Amino acid sequence: MRLATQKNQLKQLRGGLRALPAPLLLLALCAVLLFVILIAVSFGSTPIPIGTIAQILLNGTGLFHFARRWDPTTEVIVWQLRMPGVIGAALVGSALAVAGVLFQGMLRNPLADPFLIGTSSGAALGATIAFVLPFDTIYGSFSLLRPLLAFVGAILSVLLVYAIARVGGETPVVTLLLAGVVVNAVLVAFQTLILTLSPHAQFGIVALFNWLAGGVAITTWWPIVVVGAIILAGVVCSLLLSNVLDAFGLGEEGAAHLGLHVERYKLLIIILGSLITAAAVSISGLIGFVGLVTPHAMRLLLGPRHRLLLPASALGGAIFLTLADLLARVANPPDVLPVGVFTALVGAPFFLYLLRNSKRAYRW
Amino acid sequence: MVVIASKTLLEVLLDVDGITFGYEQQPLLYDVHIQVRKGEMVGLLGPNGSGKTTLLRLVSGVLRPQQGKIILDGRELRDWGRRGIAQLIAVVPQELHVPFAFTVEQLVSLGRTPFVSLFGSGSRHDTLIVQDAMHAADITPLAGRIFNELSGGERQRVIVAMALAQQPKLLLLDEPTAHLDIKYQIDMLELVQRLNRERVVTVIAAMHDLNLAARYFPRLLLFQRGVVADASPAEVLEPRLLKRVYGVNVQVGILRGAQHLSVLPPGSAVGDDERQWEGEPQVLVMAGGGSGELLMRALADASIPFIAGPLNIGDSDHTLALRLASEVITEQPYAPISPATLEQVRTSLLRMKLLVLCPVPIGPGNLSLLQAALEAAHSKITVLILAPDSGGAQVATADEVLQRTGIAERDYTNGEGLRLMRELLQAGASVVGSIAEATEVTRRHVSLASSNS
Repeated sequence: MRLATQKNQLKQLRGGLRALPAPLLLLALCAVLLFVILIAVSFGSTPIPIGTIAQILLNGTGLFHFARRWDPTTEVIVWQLRMPGVIGAALVGSALAVAGVLFQGMLRNPLADPFLIGTSSGAALGATIAFVLPFDTIYGSFSLLRPLLAFVGAILSVLLVYAIARVGGETPVVTLLLAGVVVNAVLVAFQTLILTLSPHAQFGIVALFNWLAGGVAITTWWPIVVVGAIILAGVVCSLLLSNVLDAFGLGEEGAAHLGLHVERYKLLIIILGSLITAAAVSISGLIGFVGLVTPHAMRLLLGPRHRLLLPASALGGAIFLTLADLLARVANPPDVLPVGVFTALVGAPFFLYLLRNSKRAYRW
Repeated sequence: MVVIASKTLLEVLLDVDGITFGYEQQPLLYDVHIQVRKGEMVGLLGPNGSGKTTLLRLVSGVLRPQQGKIILDGRELRDWGRRGIAQLIAVVPQELHVPFAFTVEQLVSLGRTPFVSLFGSGSRHDTLIVQDAMHAADITPLAGRIFNELSGGERQRVIVAMALAQQPKLLLLDEPTAHLDIKYQIDMLELVQRLNRERVVTVIAAMHDLNLAARYFPRLLLFQRGVVADASPAEVLEPRLLKRVYGVNVQVGILRGAQHLSVLPPGSAVGDDERQWEGEPQVLVMAGGGSGELLMRALADASIPFIAGPLNIGDSDHTLALRLASEVITEQPYAPISPATLEQVRTSLLRMKLLVLCPVPIGPGNLSLLQAALEAAHSKITVLILAPDSGGAQVATADEVLQRTGIAERDYTNGEGLRLMRELLQAGASVVGSIAEATEVTRRHVSLASSNS
């Protein structure tokens, strides 16, 4: 009985949301994201009122000139300490969610996630190499090397998976997934080997563990700008693929019958998805469940049309990860817990709930 | 024939011109020729694995033929481009599984994909076409429902509507009724027939159900890695032909004016009756390249059952033998005689009284057949060598007889074939100078044999 009413409620909610015009929905999600960002900035070792944050940020645009009724250090905290991390989390969240939509749509499998075809292990290997290289002990900082190698590792591993999976001009989905599994295994083996053999490993191993657990520990703007540019460009390009992704829902042959060059689009989707995933991973480490759960929840609420699903997931992923990042910072102050812990703790049960409540929809 | 004559006035929409295709090395379709005119409704029949689906995939451009070409609306298929093809051809698969919860209307609008810009959305015009397609397929009341929550029959109608939204000239259906119960099967075919008649959509459908195919399709193509028969249901649905292609005994009856088939499992009373009437074949005909055409027709006319083979798929004699012979020993296209096939020939020969060799060119690939014939001659099987244009003159010397067989002109084995032929004649094989003579000798032998036993 209770389950039935719950289901009905969900159905009503879904019906109501679907009836709303798309721009209004997206606008509402934007508003929620803005609000969440303000809250995330206000929480911390020294709480800052939301009104003050809003004024500081608006002053930053140069268009507004609110009188300064706050401590100058507050301004520094907002702009230099908290905003980069919060914006980084939002960017990473939306990148992972959009990549999730891309891979789920392309593979026609709602259980696919952005790390499925090698991105995670490639990035991890890249980061591991950065941690054990002697440069960081000489220069005292590896902030540049680590994201760079993680990014390169992720891209290279996806290209490797794609090359292995390509048989006679085609890339069958099954081969793609199997190649992903194989490449993952090999890269993890290399990572273990490096960690075991390297004399520098003991310096890096804790930092590496933290990185693998995921976290947006960024306190400078320039990586945000670089990564943000890649992610925004990727998300915009993904939006242009909405119709293609819809057609992929019919299967590859069905899409071909609708006049699409399936293999070309598959490659394009893989490149786009991997590019934004790699960009996100380079500043955040491996954060699970955002790319899996967000598209899922959005699809459940708004339907499967990618024209709406993609932007909604971008906003939803940003909201989800900003909140998770906030929890990670405030749960056990002054320590910052890995964000991956919270996305998994929130995401996994939610995911299970979705699975158990709609068994029918999840056949391959 | 009259039907075809009146249709030549209509424009050819699809011209499949001698295509060959195979997965891996093995050819699956061999030298297939089909012409379909605008407004036709063609049913594609054939057992599983006969290449029906492959043919449809070739026509829809998903696969490319290894040889030959497909001409669609006056232009070669590959020149149309993917999008161009999608604007002319729509495909209805056996079953469509959509992993996400698309509504019926969303799915039907996907049919407009080949026409709208990939990045934009459909115009008012597109919306009207989608509405019209849903109306034509009778699914307007389902517009807001989730596709996955519909019944199988409703889903197939939605897929047809999606295909209609493409406003295709040619509609390809791959066993569209395979997963439906009888009510929805009829619904589906009625719908397709209506579209064919009212909207002049040309239809090609692969069909499993012979009865429904006979009922709804004025033209049937019987398919077995090539076109075996291409005519009206009354001509194609012939028990002997179906038995050879599908390997089961069937009986064709007329029910309420429409052609009606009932398929009986082998071993049933009717099947046994037919076998008795037909009799066990006691003649093996080795032919190829059209050399056996007249003889096989003559034997069939004389109701003498015979086995034909080995024949390569795609050989005109093979196609004819499928129609006329009791049994056909089949070899892959262009392939030399394989040991397995040769073994099959030897086993068959054990049951034979008579072996007829048609004037086939002898090369390294089929030299082994002459050896098998020689063994047969040694084991008291009568061997006839057909040499139709050799005249009936009485000849005396062995060399003259050998010359009569014409082996010298068709021997491409550096004399090995010639040597075997000479041995064959020495072993008692005789040369027959005409089809009539061959048929007569055969009739005598077969009746003699049956009266003896």
